[in-house]
Amino acid sequence: MLDSYLPIIVLIVIALAFAVGTIVMSHLIGHRKPSAVKLAPYECGMPLVGSARERLSIKFYIIAMLFIVFDIEAVFLYPWAVVFKRLGMFGFAEMGVFIFILLVGYVYVWKKGALEWE
Amino acid sequence: MTAAIFYILSAAALLATLMAITRKNPVHAVIYLVHAFFALALIFFILGAPLVAAWEVIIYAGAIMVLFLFIIMMLELTPGEAARGPGWQRWAPVILLSGSIVVCTLLLMTAEPQAGPGGPNFYASPRDFGYGLFKEYALAVEIVSFQLLFAAVGAFYVGRGERTRRRARGDER
Amino acid sequence: MPEWLVTTILILVKLGFVFFLLLTGAAYMVLAERKLLGRMQLRYGPNRVGPFGLLQPLADAVKLVTKEDFIPSQADKFLFFIAPGIAAVTALLTFAVVPFGPPIRLFGREVPLVICDLNIGVLYFLGLSSLAVYGVTLGGWASNSKYALLGSIRALSQLISYELSMGLAIVPVVLMARSFSLTNIVNAQAGLPFAILNPPAFLIFLVSVLAESKRIPFDLPEAENEIVAGFHTEYSGMRFGLFFVGEYINVIILSSMVTVLFLGGWHGPLLPGIVWFFLKVGFISFLFIWTRGTLPRLRYDQLMHFGWKILVPLALVNVIVTGAILLLLNPAKG
Repeated sequence: MLDSYLPIIVLIVIALAFAVGTIVMSHLIGHRKPSAVKLAPYECGMPLVGSARERLSIKFYIIAMLFIVFDIEAVFLYPWAVVFKRLGMFGFAEMGVFIFILLVGYVYVWKKGALEWE
Repeated sequence: MTAAIFYILSAAALLATLMAITRKNPVHAVIYLVHAFFALALIFFILGAPLVAAWEVIIYAGAIMVLFLFIIMMLELTPGEAARGPGWQRWAPVILLSGSIVVCTLLLMTAEPQAGPGGPNFYASPRDFGYGLFKEYALAVEIVSFQLLFAAVGAFYVGRGERTRRRARGDER
Repeated sequence: MPEWLVTTILILVKLGFVFFLLLTGAAYMVLAERKLLGRMQLRYGPNRVGPFGLLQPLADAVKLVTKEDFIPSQADKFLFFIAPGIAAVTALLTFAVVPFGPPIRLFGREVPLVICDLNIGVLYFLGLSSLAVYGVTLGGWASNSKYALLGSIRALSQLISYELSMGLAIVPVVLMARSFSLTNIVNAQAGLPFAILNPPAFLIFLVSVLAESKRIPFDLPEAENEIVAGFHTEYSGMRFGLFFVGEYINVIILSSMVTVLFLGGWHGPLLPGIVWFFLKVGFISFLFIWTRGTLPRLRYDQLMHFGWKILVPLALVNVIVTGAILLLLNPAKG
């Protein structure tokens, strides 16, 4: 059973070799003449203003958190989908309740405005 | 053979976690944590649970670590003083860890299945796993959905902005 | 010939074929895109290098390799180095589970035209697409440049939002095929493709895939007239090339996933299976180029609203409805 995975391993090795190879090749062939201005972060040619480490909106945090919640839900859906037929009505009702409970939370955060971008 | 891989992977997981909690740069710590989760996923695989291994990668490495990255960026954590020293010294641990994990995967996949003692004495195919989970532990599954509901609402309350707060109090017209 | 030698040769031949196909496919996809976009905008597109510009990809590659490739002084060097690699490798690895043709007979044995038919193929695809996020995010973060950071943040939350609807749109497919293996999913579509049996899932998946590819109309992470080039602003030379190649390989992979999951993979009348597969992939890839030539870019709030308020609930309802219909059609015994 396990040796059917062998091709994937070979593929991993080839893909890694490809990525490393191109980077190294570019490193060797490309000419390099670094200077302080050239190595500065690009800001349309103007002198740099402030730091690039800015704080970002809390919105992104909420999106990431909601993503985790629904991703875990999705992850429960896959094994359920494979054995759906064997579970029959019971499984359908079980997952119906599961999704319904989450939809309640979804509607709640929607109505409270968590999904709004202003 | 399997036992040896198991110990190597456990060591890799421990080392990665150790590196994660000692890094000054939070993003580097996240990278080491991702390594730890990969090692854990492979351990689950050895123990005969491919589905849990996939979950480990999809949820922990793919979702929760992304949240960590967001939080690091949100908190405006400036990376600490970059570690001095030759480049190879800074890169060695991460290359070592990734290397050992890839090598273990290689060994694991090419090894004869059930090679001697220490091999998996059961194998939970995704199908059987799903059937067991949804048949025997239906109540637990529903409880999980309640936990996810609390998580969604909690995240919203922690992260709601000033404007939504005002709207909730009702003094916005 | 000994058994293991044949196995090894077959594996290597298949890998070589797939690798060659993906890389030249990606290179010529760039050319095709430039040509088609040119025609859509009433101009010729590249036509100087070789007949009809056919050698253009080669010229591009040479140029990229010989370009100066520098690391910005404030960058996090290691992450800056590996980020494009992550982007390209995750894209390349996904093709391992895509079955690109019906099994053929070689050396008197059955050879499946798939690198590895994992029994958790769907999860493998989802796992890799959730890891692909790291290439973009780390690349943007490590550059330590404002535009790159903005691009990577945009990319991060766009990719995770649409990954959700993409994942949820696959659930009905697994419901209907009752398997995670992509080969079994294709075989389950021998009669009718799932795109016809379940059009809502197909449309949700198609739109999510467009967003996952970070191309117009969903190209906010690299919107060139707002944030220069987004997450790869600071990249040059072949490191930029890896991001670029990764993006086009990704388009091919996502087109193959649409083909395998919804368009019946290699099934089709008259022509051999493998031809059908590549015709379908070519058509979906053309669709990617076509949308780029036609649609304007979304605003960020529109993007998020569309993903979270339309696609996600629609996909969830679709899962339940599909389940209910399947139960009605063939009630389980016991």
